[in-house]
Amino acid sequence: MSLVIAGTVPIKDFPLYTGTPKIEGNNLILDEHRVPCTMGTAALFFAAHLTCQTLNLPPPVWVTAGDIGDGVGSRIIYQHLTTNIKTLKPKILTLHYLLPITLLAKNMMLTIREMKPTLIADAGSMYVMKSIRAAKEFDLFTPDPGEMAFIADPQAVHPAYMQRYLFDFDTTNIPALIEQAYKHGNVPRVLLVKGAKDYIAKDGRIIAVIDEPNIPALEPIGGTGDTITGIVSALIYSGLEVEKAAVIAAKTNRVAGKLANPTTATRVLEIALQIPKALLDCLHY
Amino acid sequence: MSARGLITFEEVRQAFKAEAVLKKAKHDVKLVVPPPEFRRGCDLAVEFNINELVSIQRLLSANKMKYSQIISIDSATTKTLDAVKVFDFGDSVMVRCGALKITFEKGTGIIRNISGGGCPDVPYLYIELVGKKLSEAPRPREIGFTLCALCLDRAFEEALRLYESGYSGHSTN
Repeated sequence: MSLVIAGTVPIKDFPLYTGTPKIEGNNLILDEHRVPCTMGTAALFFAAHLTCQTLNLPPPVWVTAGDIGDGVGSRIIYQHLTTNIKTLKPKILTLHYLLPITLLAKNMMLTIREMKPTLIADAGSMYVMKSIRAAKEFDLFTPDPGEMAFIADPQAVHPAYMQRYLFDFDTTNIPALIEQAYKHGNVPRVLLVKGAKDYIAKDGRIIAVIDEPNIPALEPIGGTGDTITGIVSALIYSGLEVEKAAVIAAKTNRVAGKLANPTTATRVLEIALQIPKALLDCLHY
Repeated sequence: MSARGLITFEEVRQAFKAEAVLKKAKHDVKLVVPPPEFRRGCDLAVEFNINELVSIQRLLSANKMKYSQIISIDSATTKTLDAVKVFDFGDSVMVRCGALKITFEKGTGIIRNISGGGCPDVPYLYIELVGKKLSEAPRPREIGFTLCALCLDRAFEEALRLYESGYSGHSTN
């Protein structure tokens, strides 16, 4: 029973890969291919891998394929998971950068449901699960404030469609967005809203707010949200309760950010490399 | 207001291209969210004046534009989000549209980072744009495919406008 992470790499025609890449310097080695740790599922996987390593857990498994936005790799991943989820036997399944395709997502959920893994979604997978009204079947979503406004909007099937008034106050009134989202009911059990303050909500109630250390430069850096999702996935895999894992992941990501001494030009790899040290500091937070 | 028609597409990128072709031919068109019964996930439609149907069809055909169908609509469709927020980091500026953020260096216009979003072309656009000058980088809607690319393009457009106007101020929020 493994931690399985599913999400695309931004490389055209990259073939389907299922396995555990090695880390070599800044790269993940997938068979004969080298994938740099940049924003997206590569950053999420990198963070999850380092967290597992620090906690002496078996490394995660990555299901990926190349997709530059045309949906080619996403379709391959949806179909592969639909067909092979019983072989993969995930204890935890984290769904990440996938093009939202409702029909394929519905089919995939039919087989995933039978396996009953702990389910986590972020990025495009979160969008599609909300739009097919499957969010409630998930244990955790990890939106940023813009995505939280989308989740709070009962009509929107993509953040690009959300209502203007929700966008207007998304960074200033996260609690109201969380309350509205739970009122509509199409939300997972736990939400980790990643932002200037990180909010952790369970069953409609905010149970923790993490705002220290406060490193404003983290927000512009592509991939800093992905690393939180990677850390929390691995922490849940270690046996922690989802909400406890969310609190530690939020804190760890902030400390890793602080250790990297970032500017708005910093790359996510520099922050990810600080995760082991930050995690040891935050594990008993 | 004239009755409106809607062109739906298999891919968002096809909607971008069709909009460009029709606008170039001086048609009054706009990108909109398809009505719920025509949505499949990450998709976009082009709204037009139904009275121009023949001309529109001819242009789409002449330019070999792929589309799913053309429908007549009675009620207004939803616009995609085009509002932006600007955040000042001292030496750099971040512009956000929806969940997409682009950050550029004030003095040079170099794109320092891209973050947010969830469609698979965002990491691709990150690789293609970061490190380049706003004035020289490809536009997200030209090389992207999805609604996230559309939001990033709107943020890019505002970032470029700020840079070209010599913006040096503080947050507008």
